Amino acid sequence: MAAPGATALVALLVVTAGITVAARLRARSTALDYYLAGQRVGIVTNACAICGDYLSAASFLGVAAAVYSSGLDGLWYAAGFAAGFVPVALFTAAPLRRFGQHSLPDFLASRFDSERVRAVAVVVVELVILAYLVPQAVGSGLTWSLLVGEGIGGLSPYATGVVVVSTGVAGLVIVGGMRGTTWNPALQFLLLLATLVWLTVVVVGAGFSYGGAVADLDEAPLTAPVVRADGSEELATVTHQLDEGAPARFGEAGARYDRLGQFSLVLALVLGTAGLPHVVNRFFTSPSGRAARRTTVWVVGLAGAFYALAVLLGTAARTIVPGAAVDHDWLAPLTVDGVLRVPEHAMLVLGRIYGGTGGLAVVATGALVAILSTIGGLLLAAASSWGQDIYARHVNPRATERQALRAGQAAVIVATTAAAAAALVLRPDDLADTVIAPSLVATMVTWAFCLAGSSLTPVLLLAIWWRGTTARGAVAGLVVGAVAAVALIGFGLASDEGINPRASLLLTPTIVAAPLAGVVTVVASRRGAPPADLDRIWRRMHGTAADRHAERLAELTLESTR
Amino acid sequence: MRHSLRRGSAPPTGASAGRPAEPTEPTDSADDFDTTAEVDATFRTQRRVAVGYFVVFLAVTLAVPTLTLVLGWWSTGRIAGMSPNFVMAAGGLYVVFFLVAQAASSLADAVEDRMLGGGDEHLDALPHDDGTGST
Repeated sequence: MAAPGATALVALLVVTAGITVAARLRARSTALDYYLAGQRVGIVTNACAICGDYLSAASFLGVAAAVYSSGLDGLWYAAGFAAGFVPVALFTAAPLRRFGQHSLPDFLASRFDSERVRAVAVVVVELVILAYLVPQAVGSGLTWSLLVGEGIGGLSPYATGVVVVSTGVAGLVIVGGMRGTTWNPALQFLLLLATLVWLTVVVVGAGFSYGGAVADLDEAPLTAPVVRADGSEELATVTHQLDEGAPARFGEAGARYDRLGQFSLVLALVLGTAGLPHVVNRFFTSPSGRAARRTTVWVVGLAGAFYALAVLLGTAARTIVPGAAVDHDWLAPLTVDGVLRVPEHAMLVLGRIYGGTGGLAVVATGALVAILSTIGGLLLAAASSWGQDIYARHVNPRATERQALRAGQAAVIVATTAAAAAALVLRPDDLADTVIAPSLVATMVTWAFCLAGSSLTPVLLLAIWWRGTTARGAVAGLVVGAVAAVALIGFGLASDEGINPRASLLLTPTIVAAPLAGVVTVVASRRGAPPADLDRIWRRMHGTAADRHAERLAELTLESTR
Repeated sequence: MRHSLRRGSAPPTGASAGRPAEPTEPTDSADDFDTTAEVDATFRTQRRVAVGYFVVFLAVTLAVPTLTLVLGWWSTGRIAGMSPNFVMAAGGLYVVFFLVAQAASSLADAVEDRMLGGGDEHLDALPHDDGTGST
């Protein structure tokens, strides 16, 4: 497997690096261009770039894995990931762009005229970025293990994947900036979607019936591999969380979540998206507020198509792998009685069943594309927060633009190193029997959503839509939301009781932490005063003068070129 | 009526030593200007639109797991081999999300077209917030 896998990987890196360098050569070297691509990214391009940033290993490998292992309950990851952009379209996209700053912390600091808000927001943003980066690095290791299967320099295949992908993307971000990381994720998303479409066509063409598969899977209890006391493995029936004593079934709710668990997960994903720094930063690159809103509508449509296909393929893997395990010897070490040990392998295995090693290379390349584009967006957000919000404003206020860029690029290296180190410590094999299995990658990404949705989103919504929000309230809301989310997730991990409803709720605590942060923001805001120039801020955020001006300039430019 | 009121000029967009370049600020030329009253009225309308659509979005989304708990047919019925619950979670919700986002976006655009840019002169006479959090 090493030869085609390595070939696919080299081809991917060469194309990605080529696009990055080409985009970079066209760009001016200003901070505006490095971080925001000159604020001239078109609607469809930006929508594809947002999808490329957003659709990570959790979406490409994790959603299919969640569906594979938990059936209907796993579908809620996909629905929640897609749903998250509806609140963005409704509440944040246009006002954020109209206010027009470099980053989420920059927006909040300017909105409240407070450097304290900026500092607290940067800390929360960096935590979110780190929480999002770690599962991407884990996904890199998993994909490399299956794609290449060999380590380099004495490292295991998993560790090699983590190190090579993290290092490669960090280098591309440092060279390319936002312009390079706009064209890359946009093209990478199209490649990702094409991979899913190809696999779907192949699977359906081979006779897969979606409805028939779900009906067949419902006939037998859902099972999952477990390790016995003597170290051997066997299949065990998954317990029904809604009907005590009954076995869970693929097409019914209850394989993973109790009554509250489903709502908790959906709310965590819905609210989390609006606070993800690498997604928010993309809206600042739109030419106008209206374009940002229309971009989000495109994202909702494109993401919906992507997730619908990922869910179908997760279902297909559950149906097809048991039969294929009889005919394909290479599946033996990956399965226990026809069920995959690592659910994240579902999509990859499907590619190899239908396309041989070449098919595996195509799907694995898709997985790496998802990881590359997401890591790129996250690292750029990290660079923006440190370089512009902290270094250029507080550490070295007299810094030249070049020095600020260098500081941001140093942040890229630090964030990459921290995430890779965490991924090497949190090996998937060691976590197989913990509360975060199954669907390891999707669950870990959900923590980033929880942190963002519990802390940044409530404050962001109030900052945009309630004039009474003050700097004091924003700081209080950010801190309380973040602390509550981290503490509850920590309790969930420490419970060590395996998969259970309490753990599920604790591991997706937005349903508790977000309202708490909102209430604290409102109460604390009552004790402070809004910025003196609130009317000007409101005109800037909710008025359309700048949009009209930009549209007229665009029309004049078009007329002059005719 | 277009106000002769002018805000201060927009902050500089160019970079200088010690300060990174600022992103593009809204520009107030004589033709591209919104009054506080206009913006305030538009903001309140947009907030009603956004909250209304969000309630619809949330109700439909949460109805899917809720029906699992209260309606047996939702989980056991069959539509082309799949339960209604599965059909909605696997595909139906994505259609709903897109329709809600599209409808809300179109209405928001229409509200801005109608209420900003000099369309409704009477809006200048509307009361507006004093910045004390009364909204």
